[in-house]
Amino acid sequence: MSAATQPSPPCRALYSARRQSSLKKTPRRFYLTYQENSDGFSDEEDRDEEWVDSNDPEEVFQNIQFQKEIIADIRSRPWPMAHKLKALRQAKQIVLKYEGRLTRTQGYQAAGADLLKKASRVLYNIVVLFIPWEMRIKKIESHFGSGVASYFIFLRWLFGINIVLTVMTGAFVVLPELLAGAPYGSTRRKTIPKEQISSAQDLDTIWSLGARLLTTLSAFSRITRHCEPGYLQYSVLFYGYYGSVRKIGSAGYRLPLAYFLVGMAVFAYSFIVLLRKMAKNSRLSLVSASDENYTFCWRVFCAWDFLIGNHEAAESKGAAIVNNIREAIVEEQEKKKETSLLALVSLRVLANILVLLSLAGSIYIIYFVVDRSQRLEQEKQELTLWEKNEVSVVVSLITMIAPSAFELVAQLEMYHPRTSLRFQLARVLVLYLGNLYSLIIALLDKVNSMNSVSPATVGNWSDSSAFLATSALMGEENQSTIMPEISEWRNATYSLATEAGETTGVAALSNNMTTSPEFSMRSPQDQCWETYVGQEMLKLSVIDMIFTVASILLIDFFRGLFVRYVSDCWCWDLESKFPEYGEFKIAENVLHLIYNQGMIWMGTFFSPCLPAFNVLKLVGLMYLRSWAVLTCDVPHQQVFRASRSNNFYLAMLLFMLFLCMLPTVFAIVRYRPSQHCGPFSGQDKIYDIIPETIAADFPLWLSRMMSYVTSPVVVLPALLLLFMLIYYLQSIARSLKFTNNQLRIQLQMASQQANRRECRRLRENTADKKRVLKFAAARLTASESGEEMVEEEENEVMSQGTSICSSGLKHNSSIANCKLPEHQGSSIPTISQPVSHKDISQTTRVMWGGPMPKAQKKRKEYIPSRYPDCLEGSDRSFKLYHQGLNRPSGYYTEHTHFKSLQRKGFRPMYCKPAQYVIVSEHGACRKPLRPASWTPRCTRMNKPGDAVELFPQSGCWPKTFMPYRSYLPEEEEEGAENPHIQRYSFSQTLQPQCLSDLTQPAHLYTGDMGSQEPVEGLHSSWAKADWEDPKLRTRSHSDVRSCEPPSKDCVLQVKMHVKPKKRKKVEVCLPESDSASLDSSSDPQNSGSDQYIQVIQSKEKSLRSCDRPSRKKFNSGADLNMSAENELIYSNV
Amino acid sequence: MGNKQTIFTDEQLDAYQDCTFFTRKEILRLHGRYHELAPHLVPMDYTNNPDVKLPSALIVNMPELKENPFRNRIVESFSEDGLGNLSFNDFVDMFSVLSETAPKELKAIYAFKIYDFNTDNFICKEDLEKTLNKLTREELTPEEVNLVCEKAIEETDMDGDNKLSYDDFENMISRAPDFLR
Repeated sequence: MSAATQPSPPCRALYSARRQSSLKKTPRRFYLTYQENSDGFSDEEDRDEEWVDSNDPEEVFQNIQFQKEIIADIRSRPWPMAHKLKALRQAKQIVLKYEGRLTRTQGYQAAGADLLKKASRVLYNIVVLFIPWEMRIKKIESHFGSGVASYFIFLRWLFGINIVLTVMTGAFVVLPELLAGAPYGSTRRKTIPKEQISSAQDLDTIWSLGARLLTTLSAFSRITRHCEPGYLQYSVLFYGYYGSVRKIGSAGYRLPLAYFLVGMAVFAYSFIVLLRKMAKNSRLSLVSASDENYTFCWRVFCAWDFLIGNHEAAESKGAAIVNNIREAIVEEQEKKKETSLLALVSLRVLANILVLLSLAGSIYIIYFVVDRSQRLEQEKQELTLWEKNEVSVVVSLITMIAPSAFELVAQLEMYHPRTSLRFQLARVLVLYLGNLYSLIIALLDKVNSMNSVSPATVGNWSDSSAFLATSALMGEENQSTIMPEISEWRNATYSLATEAGETTGVAALSNNMTTSPEFSMRSPQDQCWETYVGQEMLKLSVIDMIFTVASILLIDFFRGLFVRYVSDCWCWDLESKFPEYGEFKIAENVLHLIYNQGMIWMGTFFSPCLPAFNVLKLVGLMYLRSWAVLTCDVPHQQVFRASRSNNFYLAMLLFMLFLCMLPTVFAIVRYRPSQHCGPFSGQDKIYDIIPETIAADFPLWLSRMMSYVTSPVVVLPALLLLFMLIYYLQSIARSLKFTNNQLRIQLQMASQQANRRECRRLRENTADKKRVLKFAAARLTASESGEEMVEEEENEVMSQGTSICSSGLKHNSSIANCKLPEHQGSSIPTISQPVSHKDISQTTRVMWGGPMPKAQKKRKEYIPSRYPDCLEGSDRSFKLYHQGLNRPSGYYTEHTHFKSLQRKGFRPMYCKPAQYVIVSEHGACRKPLRPASWTPRCTRMNKPGDAVELFPQSGCWPKTFMPYRSYLPEEEEEGAENPHIQRYSFSQTLQPQCLSDLTQPAHLYTGDMGSQEPVEGLHSSWAKADWEDPKLRTRSHSDVRSCEPPSKDCVLQVKMHVKPKKRKKVEVCLPESDSASLDSSSDPQNSGSDQYIQVIQSKEKSLRSCDRPSRKKFNSGADLNMSAENELIYSNV
Repeated sequence: MGNKQTIFTDEQLDAYQDCTFFTRKEILRLHGRYHELAPHLVPMDYTNNPDVKLPSALIVNMPELKENPFRNRIVESFSEDGLGNLSFNDFVDMFSVLSETAPKELKAIYAFKIYDFNTDNFICKEDLEKTLNKLTREELTPEEVNLVCEKAIEETDMDGDNKLSYDDFENMISRAPDFLR
């Protein structure tokens, strides 16, 4: 940004100008000043003074608002810090200073807001301190890049969710039960059967968490088998422990209700959190990654992960990038080429078959194992540790091994790495789901059988006998073996029969009975299926954790150790060949987390403490993983970018949540709760607790209302309504998407068109200019004095690069003249002879009438670049006009600074008032190095009969031109097409912009010519005049109109600060004095179509040209997009 | 920050917090890092805004940047003098822009500067070649580099001038799925 180097002198001028000019356009004005700041680093003191004089509250208010805006988003502005700080300080000062001037309420409001802001910042500072593992994650991020870190961030997020779940279950279920519930041992369900106490403390038993059928060596051998409860089984960990008393404690806490509601709330909360997170993410990543337009660019510009700080990671990332790019090249080259499709397809089919087989196999194995464990339980007296845990172990093993197998298979397929990664993920996900599902189905099967026992126990004898038959049919040996006893026992109870030996157990039938007869027919109690499911889940979770730890140690740590230390004395390079170092496979690991979370969701209802356990597990995992990653892993080669704003994992998690919720909800709805344990014992269905509570504990009207609300009459329409709503929203979404696409297409087309146009312009540029020259030449020739000049011109222009003059001719033969200055060093005498001098007086003498067709001007402008030679022409003679036409960004604005003008040669001629000529010159000084970059040009345009003039000036140009960065040739074409027309019709085409130029010439002219009086008159009139004023126009006789380039208004404001009398001085001072015209258009929002031009002439030396800064802004802002209407125009005198 | 030595005044910290994406603590930590780089040059007391600049050679060796193929460019684009000498302000600025919370648009602006090796406000072919060579540690053959550059320009260049303006760049980058640092 070369512009940034420029000094920004002019602010003061600017300010004064502004001060006078506009009270109405405050916003714009603020914007300007602000811009000023941004680029110019201008002195604030001045500014402050400037501000002082604004007393209009509205203005002040807006000012303050504006400053606040700055304060608010200053951090997002691409300025250097020092500058930001300065701007910030200033803005704050201004706010502080002026806020008090507003009404009191506003002041208070502001103070309040300020306070609030401070407080929130402090709070934020504190909160940040409590984000767990921030440093650890940052460290990993800095070593391995964002991909690896995303795993840990995800882990942390899950951790957060689990904390909330834990709090929910803990606060509303576990704690009340512990505090107010019947204490341990007080009821039968909370007591470990006596005969098991002896074994309850064995590690073995505790580990088994109970529930497994174990033979005990109890003396009561009649019962050969029953559940072996550990302490854990009889704890708040599991469903079975909770009492079914409706209200507990002195406060009457409704535990069962709370239990149910919390169970549901867990799901609801998880859904809400997930969906919100996803919505937020999708808002963040609006990008539709669908179009592959930028394959290479993305690979080049977006490849590097800027977080990588570790050497090895950097190496592998570099290698990955190279691969990636090579791949892209190959793809590009082979896009059309079809490889042996047949082989590929068959391979892929084969691979998929393999995967399916292994999926089916794993599901079968799980089912088989569950089944076998059931059989084992029934057949064997004592189960070994393996037998007790084989289900969980098998599941965990499959979970570990299968993904690697899939990976091998995937190599067969030869997909693009990204695709194959997706396949891999999908397969692993299916595998996990399959595992969980087959497990839960097998368990529910078991529950089914258990459950079916319960009705039997409650039912009468015939029921139970009937049940016996069924259970036998089902081949549930497990149950059936117990069955006889139960039924017998039942028998005894209800049908008052017999078998005295067991009658003691009768008491157990009525739930509230405590006591445990020695013999305890505990079977009903032990068959608490909810507890059983909860236990399985917990056990699965624990074993999974163990396996994870083991795999981290084995696969990552020991392998790493082995590779590192044995590598030296091994026969091949361990580090790069076979074992290598462990890779951190982000995708698989994230999936594993999801799987783990799925287990938790599945089991939470049956085991309220599962989330708490999971919290511990996640904490452990976090530390272990991060340790392992930092010590012994290398990042995965193909990183699946899963940034924070990527919804992929979240979508999988959501999917998992839904699928895990299903079995639980199914179980709740479908199965009857155990009769002898748990908060819902005695109910027919778990959810009966709700209606029951409503009926019993709420006023009558509520229950009646509920009954209405839940009746089909209400529910069905409500459902219907929901469906309609969904449909409606969906269709809206669809139409929005459609609109979106349309808009995007339009946008693309527009930008393409714009680009094309630009190209064309570029191309035509040259041609146009030539045409213009020709035309001018032709005119010249036509004119009396014509031909030689033309030739001369051409020659000069082309070869020597002189300034070109176009002379306007009148028909009258009055002629213009041109002059062509010469170059090299000599200042040139430009001669423009005003033919019709007389007119001058009438006209505004000033050149400024500049109704130039834009086209011409622009063309001219380009010329310099075309003829570089011109630049060389040392004469800086000339200048004349520059106008920035509608150039968008004020590139054109030329500032012409004449250090010294030599006016001698200068004669503008004006002819009829209406017709003007304008010359625009603009020096395209590209580099400051070429001082002479201005080519003098005189253009003339007239109607026939009008005279034209030239302005040669032999000015000495200061070299102070701004480097002119990019000159955008865009606009030219418009005029180019029909220059003739424009010329002739120029009265319409007046461009106000010319004004800026005009002023100059005017001065010069006046000085020279001695036609002073009129000039003065003009000046004075100008000073007041607002050019928009029609009056003014008429006065000047010129057909000055604001021509509207489509859609813009041109407003000219001309201010002349120069007093006429001092004109001479002014001239002397020319170098310093500027006239600054500012286009307020710098305010992009408002000024879209307005152009304001102010021409200000001030004689003060102190004034510096304002151009620089403003222009700079444009450049630096790179606001190419700024509406074309924005311009800055400066005229310097 | 009671008993500790004052590094910044509260106003300074506030101002920094306004201007960057950092919290107070992070700013202090940044100062710590900056101080570490050259303990003898960088004062602990920053209340009077000492004018200290560290040469790019020091900055570039920070672990955060050490492995970055564009480290020199990064440092240069953030330095006020364009040579890579960073004052503390520039230093903070750099990390602020590189921090994860900075908006994408801001990053795009600086990314453009970084990739614009010759600072002509366009990414031209030479810039691209340099980028590629840095990125791949010159492992690609010249033909490959050439091909990639041409392709990249072809894809992105909208106005046919064979170089990428900021608009082109921004347009391209805003659609990139993984333009996140």
